[in-house]
Amino acid sequence: MTVHDVVNRLVLILLCCCGQVSAADSASQWLNSMSDALKQLDYDGTFVYQHNGRLDVMRIIHRVDDGGQRGRLVSLTGSAREVLRDDRSVTCILPDNKSVMFGQSRAQQPFPVVPDDIAAISRYYQLEDMGGDQIIGYSARVIAVTPRDEFRYGYRFWIEEDSRMMLKSDLTGADGKAIEQVIFTALDIGTDIPASDLQPSLSGDGYTWHRQTEIKTAEDPAQGSPGWVVRQLPTGFMLSDFRRRRLHEQGSDAEHMVFTDGMATVSVYIERTMPETGAFTGPSSMGAMNAYGTVIDRYQVTVVGEVPPATVKMIATSVSRQGSS
Amino acid sequence: MKDTLNEQLSALVDDELATGEAALLLRQMGKDETLCDRFARYQLISDALKNNLPAQVDPAFHLRVQAALQDEVAPQPAPASMQFGRLFRPFAGFAVAASVAVVAVLSLQSVRETAPQNTPAVAAAPAEYIRAEGQAPVARSSNRDLEAYLVNHNEFAVNRGMLPYVRIVGQGKQSRGQEDVE
Repeated sequence: MTVHDVVNRLVLILLCCCGQVSAADSASQWLNSMSDALKQLDYDGTFVYQHNGRLDVMRIIHRVDDGGQRGRLVSLTGSAREVLRDDRSVTCILPDNKSVMFGQSRAQQPFPVVPDDIAAISRYYQLEDMGGDQIIGYSARVIAVTPRDEFRYGYRFWIEEDSRMMLKSDLTGADGKAIEQVIFTALDIGTDIPASDLQPSLSGDGYTWHRQTEIKTAEDPAQGSPGWVVRQLPTGFMLSDFRRRRLHEQGSDAEHMVFTDGMATVSVYIERTMPETGAFTGPSSMGAMNAYGTVIDRYQVTVVGEVPPATVKMIATSVSRQGSS
Repeated sequence: MKDTLNEQLSALVDDELATGEAALLLRQMGKDETLCDRFARYQLISDALKNNLPAQVDPAFHLRVQAALQDEVAPQPAPASMQFGRLFRPFAGFAVAASVAVVAVLSLQSVRETAPQNTPAVAAAPAEYIRAEGQAPVARSSNRDLEAYLVNHNEFAVNRGMLPYVRIVGQGKQSRGQEDVE
């Protein structure tokens, strides 16, 4: 048994002990321990992703070892897209357009799913323990997160009683109905993950590589953009990051502001429009992730987030230059 | 209509569709790639639910199913011995369904046996926007730029419900919505 195996089992035992006091746990504690489980456990699972009447089957593999966290997400249907992530980089292999997107990852978040600050969330969402359920042979606790206004989506999580792994999740609209679902159909928790399972199945040979890089500056991220201001945000959304980055070789440097209310995150990208690429205006979406583009003074403004279409539009159309009315 | 078709496809996957309906549906699938694609997905999801998936699934699976169906349902000149066939007509749907299953199994097995480790089995259709009626076309390069934003944003998503990259991996397609959809 390796040191990693011992650590992994200790984590499992600790999480199991947490499970013994489940009766006293609040909904927020369940969410916190789900966050820990997703970061700390080794697992290999197959799940169905459902959105807008479309179903996809995917496999997720996650391992924590001395080198940190490593994850691989691969489609078993469709165009065989694949994402690999470790503590240094994230690689998206997109066979359908023969391209690879490569960038730096944010530290300590192999698959950034859950924030640490649960307390702040309850101001904008109602958290409820909905009781027990059974999913693929596991006993699960159902936790509902309902937004207090129409600017956000809601969530329901089925969390395994012992390991605290997420077994199922719904992203819900204003009517409470699921608009996006992830349902595990098979899941091995605490299993040995061979290194070969974390290797890409596609080499990327012959593909076009797009490198996303962060531009180092002396600017203070907490101060936000020196040139642009977002005048309208839903209550509770706070600036959590500001960077300059280059997202595509042919493009100009983009300003990137990140806002979050603790559950949902919205990015605002601003970069000079390039004549050869054209502009993106109006709404777009990928799953429940919505985007809205507009052009201001030859700058492309794009807002992206897991919030309703009206929210990204409201934010995008409120962006203006510092000092303008 | 769409719901009925979906129910029929689901029943076909589960071998629970009446013989006559199965034959009709299979004939439709031979002519309709979308329907065939949906059947392939239902089959895979059924396999996933039964924890019966292969290590890798051929992206062009549905095309092979459709090709096989077209071969199966194309009118054939009846040889003399086919007079016997009338007696077995009620079983025709099952015969075609069985051959679909065989094609499915063979195509999945062939992927497992022959696909090289580091190369995609089959290149899929390019990702593209679904453009709402009346909207100006979006330059392909700006589509790619938008995808770069969507990929980059995932690193910052704290959304609890979705493993954020699921959307990138799953759909491989961005949808252009209606302007002013609220």
